[in-house]
Amino acid sequence: MKTSWWPSRQTSWRLLAGVAVSLGLSFGVSAQTAPAVAAAPVAATPVAAPDTAPVVKSAPALPAGSTAQPGWNVPPKWSDVELKPQYASVPGREMNVLLEDKGQWWRTIRNGPVTFYGGILMLVVPALLLVFFAVKGPFKLHGAPSGKLIERFNSAERMVHWTMALSFVALSVSGLILLFGKYVLMPVFGASVFAWTAQVMKAVHNFVGPLFMFSLVAFFFMYVRDNYFKPIDFTWLAKFGGLLSGSHVPSGRFNGGEKVWFWLSIVMLGVIISVSGLILLFPNWDSTRELMAEANLVHGIIAILFMAASLGHIYIGTIGTQGAYQGMRKGYVDETWAKEHHEMWYNDVKSGKAVQKPVGAAQPAAGDD
Amino acid sequence: MARMKFICDAERCIECNGCATACKNEHEVPWGVNRRRLITVNDGKPGERSMSVACMHCSDAPCMAVCPVDCFYKTEEGVVLHDKDLCIGCGYCFYACPFGAPQFPQAGAFGLRGKMDKCTFCAGGPEENHSKAEFTKYGRNRIAEGKLPACAEMCSTKALLAGDGAVIESIYKTRVQRRGKGDEIWGWAMAYKRGDAVAAGVKS
Repeated sequence: MKTSWWPSRQTSWRLLAGVAVSLGLSFGVSAQTAPAVAAAPVAATPVAAPDTAPVVKSAPALPAGSTAQPGWNVPPKWSDVELKPQYASVPGREMNVLLEDKGQWWRTIRNGPVTFYGGILMLVVPALLLVFFAVKGPFKLHGAPSGKLIERFNSAERMVHWTMALSFVALSVSGLILLFGKYVLMPVFGASVFAWTAQVMKAVHNFVGPLFMFSLVAFFFMYVRDNYFKPIDFTWLAKFGGLLSGSHVPSGRFNGGEKVWFWLSIVMLGVIISVSGLILLFPNWDSTRELMAEANLVHGIIAILFMAASLGHIYIGTIGTQGAYQGMRKGYVDETWAKEHHEMWYNDVKSGKAVQKPVGAAQPAAGDD
Repeated sequence: MARMKFICDAERCIECNGCATACKNEHEVPWGVNRRRLITVNDGKPGERSMSVACMHCSDAPCMAVCPVDCFYKTEEGVVLHDKDLCIGCGYCFYACPFGAPQFPQAGAFGLRGKMDKCTFCAGGPEENHSKAEFTKYGRNRIAEGKLPACAEMCSTKALLAGDGAVIESIYKTRVQRRGKGDEIWGWAMAYKRGDAVAAGVKS
């Protein structure tokens, strides 16, 4: 970048500039008032502008002896045309657009509230859960475990759940690194190592995304039957699952809270995040920059909400509730757990209404995961 | 230190594509990547004007602001450059740039983006000046050779001006005064003084 030659060149430019400015002054107009010059002289009668040529300024006076038609060769007002597609010989989507002003809007929101409030949420939610855990501790069983196990999730259900869960975690970690890594990891790793990390994380995000979407579809069809809302679920929700009162609220296989998690998070947020993700995943779909920027915002905001909600889900499913994790890990829960947490489901299982493997098969062999 | 800028004088541009060709040739830009392109307004109609568009090397560059790996940097002359070794091909700079400057060669199936490529103001990249690595990744470093960007040097009508912002602005303003029209320096308000431009309601 350095060259000893440069300053002399600059000096000559300065000289040129001086000449140019004095030339401008000799016309009796300072450089700053130049726009007025173009607008001031009005040609006798502007000829009717042919079709759509935007005539925004009156044509300048023609030199004496000119045979040109006044009003015909009027330059466009750039602010009127720069956002609209024009003609470009270079092929490609939006190559013919002079200015795309949505990018700035996207930048302001992404680098502003999404990063700031999103970052705060990602710190506050785990902190609140830890405080809750420290204060309340896990929900323990009231009765003694019976030792008898009943099947809660079959192997296909567990496989789909864990495919979704692990892909969700992989997407969360890679996504968080792409949004916050610049502020959190880069100062620690240095630019090169962080860029390499981000490159890997981008690949992870791109390839795990579709896996997450497939598991989402499979999950929906596998779990939707037991997630239809029933009147009892509204009672459960109204009492907040007895969380505050400590009272027992019966529920079916899934309680009101789990159904809200299913419909609002997995189905609703899952679909939005998948659609916006697909737009970002395939640049060859020739989406406009505006669409991709919007998809990116939606994707980021929804992802942060989804992660915040899933932290709650993970908390309740692991350290927050005694016996819950084993239900999804091994597929079996203790009868006491079933009675205390999902009484109506337990009754259905006992009465044979819910499909259930023979009790003999309910004892997992050692090492059977 | 001079602040490097581009001006395209639409009253002079004849859409010859000399700038785009000069750029492609100078830097051996790969197929499908166009660091500079021509856009024609009112094509084939009275009042037709053409504009040569490339990276404007913005003061508050949106690409720099949104890059998740901070691969952009600014030289002392205000030229916005980037490090292709850091670029992860996410496309964010492409969303953010108002001028459509960042370009991505396809690096795999489904339009997977490779390392971003854009106008360097013929100032190369972070590699050693005139090294083979610099040429392969960023093209020639004409600035280090004491030359101005190839596009502007090649411009047949001198519509495209590149160099010290103050100098090229005064050249342009002199032209405007002499011919009495074409006073909008297209793109400058967006690239160099956005705050002022928004306050004044100027969009160009």
